[in-house]
This record gives sequence, C-alpha cells and structure tokens, in this order.
Amino acid sequence: MPLIETHELCKTYRLGEIEVPALRDISLRIEPGEFTALWGPSGSGKSTLLNLLGLIDTPSAGNIILNGRNTANMTDAARAHLRNEGIGFIFQGFNLIPVLSALENVMLPLSIRGVSRTRAHCEADRRLAEVGLGKYTHHRPDQLSGGQRQRVAIARALVTNPLLIIADEPTANLDAATGLAVIEQMKALNHTLGVTFLFSTHDPRLLGHLQRIVRLSDGEILEDSMDALPDLSTALPSSPTHTEGAAA
Amino acid sequence: MIALTLALRNLWKNRRRSLATLLAIGIGFAAVNLFAGYIANTYAGLRDSSIYGEGLGHLTIARNGYFANGSLQPERYILSPDDLTRLTRLLREDSRIEVISPRLSASGLVSNGKLSTIFIAEGEDPALANRIWQHSNARFRLDPQKPAGGLVSKALAERLGVGPHGNLVTMASTLEGQINALDLDVLQVWDTGNAATNDKTLRLPLGYLQQLLDTEGASRVVVLLTPGTDADTLRSALQPRLRAAGFDMEIKTWVELSSYYRQVKRLFDLIFAFLFTIVFIVVLMSIINTLSMSVMERVREIGTLRALGMQRLAVIRIFATEGALLGIAGSLAGAVLTCTLIALIHFGHITYTPPASSTPVPLSIAFLPGMLGATLAILTLIATLAACWPARRAARLEIVDALGHI
Repeated sequence: MPLIETHELCKTYRLGEIEVPALRDISLRIEPGEFTALWGPSGSGKSTLLNLLGLIDTPSAGNIILNGRNTANMTDAARAHLRNEGIGFIFQGFNLIPVLSALENVMLPLSIRGVSRTRAHCEADRRLAEVGLGKYTHHRPDQLSGGQRQRVAIARALVTNPLLIIADEPTANLDAATGLAVIEQMKALNHTLGVTFLFSTHDPRLLGHLQRIVRLSDGEILEDSMDALPDLSTALPSSPTHTEGAAA
Repeated sequence: MIALTLALRNLWKNRRRSLATLLAIGIGFAAVNLFAGYIANTYAGLRDSSIYGEGLGHLTIARNGYFANGSLQPERYILSPDDLTRLTRLLREDSRIEVISPRLSASGLVSNGKLSTIFIAEGEDPALANRIWQHSNARFRLDPQKPAGGLVSKALAERLGVGPHGNLVTMASTLEGQINALDLDVLQVWDTGNAATNDKTLRLPLGYLQQLLDTEGASRVVVLLTPGTDADTLRSALQPRLRAAGFDMEIKTWVELSSYYRQVKRLFDLIFAFLFTIVFIVVLMSIINTLSMSVMERVREIGTLRALGMQRLAVIRIFATEGALLGIAGSLAGAVLTCTLIALIHFGHITYTPPASSTPVPLSIAFLPGMLGATLAILTLIATLAACWPARRAARLEIVDALGHI
C-alpha cells in the first residue's frame, strides 16, 4: 500500500475576480521509506503540493489518500489529529517557538498529543542527541545557529515517530555546507529509521543526494524519476551541477 | 500544561506590555475595592446611627395606618396603656427581642423666655432608651430620676443659648387640641450628626411627652433585636401572632423608616455600579488590546502549532490562559494596592465632612476579604472571556496563511 496516493489533485487560488491555478491534476504515489524531492522553480507548485499532502491546506479538487485513509471529508479536528500522529514538518524558516528551549520545542508535538511530561522529555532528549544537539537542550532558538535550529526542527519532526516527514525548502536559509549536512542527516534518518521524507527544493547542490525527484512546472508534474536525475536543463539553465549523476 | 507554559513565557517576553495591562487591572481592582470598603463603612455607620443613635430600633410596631396618617391624626392611632401592656407581654414571648420601648412623638415650640423656635421630639422611657444607646458610641443619656430632664440638639441649644443645666419651656397641642406648656431641664446637648435635624430635635422622657400631649398611651412600640436576628424574618413571624392576638398593626423595619439611609444607599450603589462598569470596560479593552497585539505578533507561531497538530480549541486555551493570568496577577496587584491604601488611610487619620453632616468624620475604609475575592474572580473571568475574542481569531487563521505570515 502506498503511503501517499493522490488523484487528479487541483488547487486554485482566487485573486479578486481572477482564478489562478497552482496545481493541475496531480496524480502521485509515494511508497513508505522513500526519500523524495519535489523539484522546480519558484511558483511551480512545490509548496502548495506539500501543504496539501501535509494536510495543512485543502485541495480545490481531487483526492489524497494517506496511509490508506481518504482525507477528503475529514473534519479540521481529524486532520489536526492525523498531522500530529503521522506527519512531521520541517519548515524553511525553522518555525521554532521562540519562548521555548530546544528541548521544549522538540517536546511540543508530544505535549500537544497529551503525552506525559516525563516521557516527552525523555523522547525529546533522545531525538536531540540523535541530531547531535545533546548539549544544547536548554538553549533558546535565538541562541542557536541556523543549522542547529534546523536540526532542532528535524528532531521535532521525528519525535512522534511519524510515517512521513514533510520539509519545505529545508536548506533555503542555510549556507551550502550546513544545507548539505542537514540533507545528509535527513538521509541518514531515512535509512536508519525508514521514515519517508518528502521535501521541496530548487537547490542544485542537493541533486546527488536524492533518491527520487518529481519535477514540477506551472503546477503540473513534468517528470518523475526514481534513482535517476531528470533533465533539468530547462529548469536550471545557469546551474553548473544539473547534468551530474544523481545516484542516491 | 503547554498552554500555561506558552502563556507564562509570552507574558514574560512582552513584560512591559503585560505590566501596563496588569497595572490597568490592578488600579481598577483597587478603585472598586476602596469604594466598596468606603460605602460598606458608611452603610454600617448609617445603620448604627439609625437603629441606635436615632433610636429607630430594628422594628417599629404601630396601628395600621399610623405611618401614613399618624402625624395628621395622632389621637386615632394612639396605643392605650392596656394595649401597651398586652403588646409588651406578647413581644416578650420571643427571645429574639431584646428591648421593647413605647414611643411618642410631638412637635411644637420651645422657648428660652425670649426666643421661641420649633421642635420635634421623641418621648421614650429613659432606662430603655439608654439601653438602646449603649449599643452605639453615643455619650448622651436620659436620667430616669429626672422626669423633666431632656436632651437638646446642638444647633437648637446654640440658637436658644442654653447648655447643660439650662431651662426651657416646651409648648404643644394636646391630643384634644388644647395648648399645653411644660418646663424642661436641659440634661445634655448632643449633636445629631445631621444638619437637617440638629437645629430642632429634643429627646424627652416618655412621661414628660405624655404629660405635654395629655395622654397615657404611646403612638408606637420600638423593638431592638438580639445580635444576628434578621429584622425581616422576625417581622414575618410577628405579624400573624399580632393578628391572632386581635391587634390590627403594621410593622416597619428600620430601613423602611430611614429615608436618609435609603437615599444614601441608592446613590452609592449607583456610583458603585458606574465605577464597576468603567473598570469592566477598562479591563475588557486592555486585555483585548494586549492579546490582539500578541496574536498579530505570533501568527507564524500559531500556524506552526496548528501544523504540529494543535486543535483550534487548544489555541484558544493558550490565549485564554494568558488573559486569565493577566486577570489574576492584576487582581493580586490590586489587592496589595488596596490593602496598602487602606492602611495608609487608617494611619493617616484623615477626616472629611460628608454631605448633610454637621461634623467632620474620620475617613475609614472597611477591609472586605469577600469583596476582594469576588472582584478577583469577576475580573479574572472578564479577562479570560475578553481574551477569547482575539484567541478565536487566532484559532481561525488558515494554517498556510499563518505560516506564510511575515
């Protein structure tokens, strides 16, 4: 059974009288344990698709089946419950809660779920150690570097043992080396824990680290490649790396 | 727990704004409680003054119709000595009644031989009157050994140029309509505390006034109750017993007879309601303003919490907790401010002259723990409910829009 299955997914935004299509007839299957990137230029619909698959937005048409469950007619409360139980989020801007320490930020999804403080503390501690931040548990986000903040966000996404982690441009606010380190860490977690990663990027430096690339343009899937790079020449004309091999 | 942590941390993060809101609540809290303490003291003072000083007792029993027409036709409503004996015996059966004092009222002229002026007089048994007065801080007394000795109000004594041991002559119409006059020995001069009555009031022995009005009866019976007895309850119990004994009587409580008390209470209650409404609005607007700003600043945070699976209601709970914490902290600050100001006023020995009063009185504020608790509960509830409006707005934000908010 695929982890995610979409059928003719559409999303249209309304700007006054004008309807702007952001996604057109997206049909996609993602199997458990995949490490998949949505690739495309700005405005291609990557974030919109991630928002729909992460159940933080609703499609204008079409259907999303998540782990066998049709999400079409779910109530807001049921969607929130499913997000908390089954999906981890990593945001471009880290989105850590500024008044909470690194540990408390990681504990947050468990606290929302109602897990006891002791258990949440223990689990968050373990996740922070896994991402190499065992010594930074009591630091506030503003006392951490960009890379460290993104690793806290990864630990927070992992803490509930989700089926799926959704990351929207996770390296966009990081320098090249840190961005690469974050992707390596995500990949390692994908291998060791078997958790499915689905993220958006337009950073050509990450190409060599991807298993599957779904290329989007103008809200449509142009290409879907497993263990092979798509032809990115049209999408990234200035990128020197777009023709490199991309074995995961 | 997470709601409390986030609420506390965010309040601390914006501590200057929180402090401003807290002060607004605290000052409002203190204003309400200081005024409540002031009027409670005033009510207690007026109550004692009416029941004991003015001698209204707790209940006044008279023939039906006396309170409406007694001053025009006093002879119609007079209680004969036989009536008084039977009535007294019946009242004595109730252990909640402490003093039973027959009374007679009169008005007329009082003269020092050169100057005459009007008087209103209360005639009462000296021993019973003294028993009622001893409950108050009044220092004046009638003397049971001096049947022609009476008390003269201060402004009246000044007008007539008499003091203690002076002599006056009272003149009034008897119940039959004849003019009668009697000598009066001034025992004491006292201040009624009320400018309206201080220039015309006499307190006289019942026998003296009976002689002046040429009657052996009394117009009514004043009853003083034992401490803790409710006047209304006892009235309800007495009425059927009086009817059963053949008396066609009506009973009034001291509140019904003291129009001054009722007027003051109505006025103060109105001012209190006005003040509380202002405080209510200030607290409401402060909390809405503070938390609306907080919601605006934390849109991304709200979006993140919702994306992580927090339910809408839980988001409302975070902001409602912030409102409640501001309400509690503001009220506690207000309680400290109230206690400090009460102590300062107490030790400052501040005096003032209230309207219609003839002498300055000490400014005194009662400490009302029940009122402090009630205000804390009400203001916390207002603050919590006020927080729900911006909180609801926060909870209804679209997650995608909130996450994209800069």
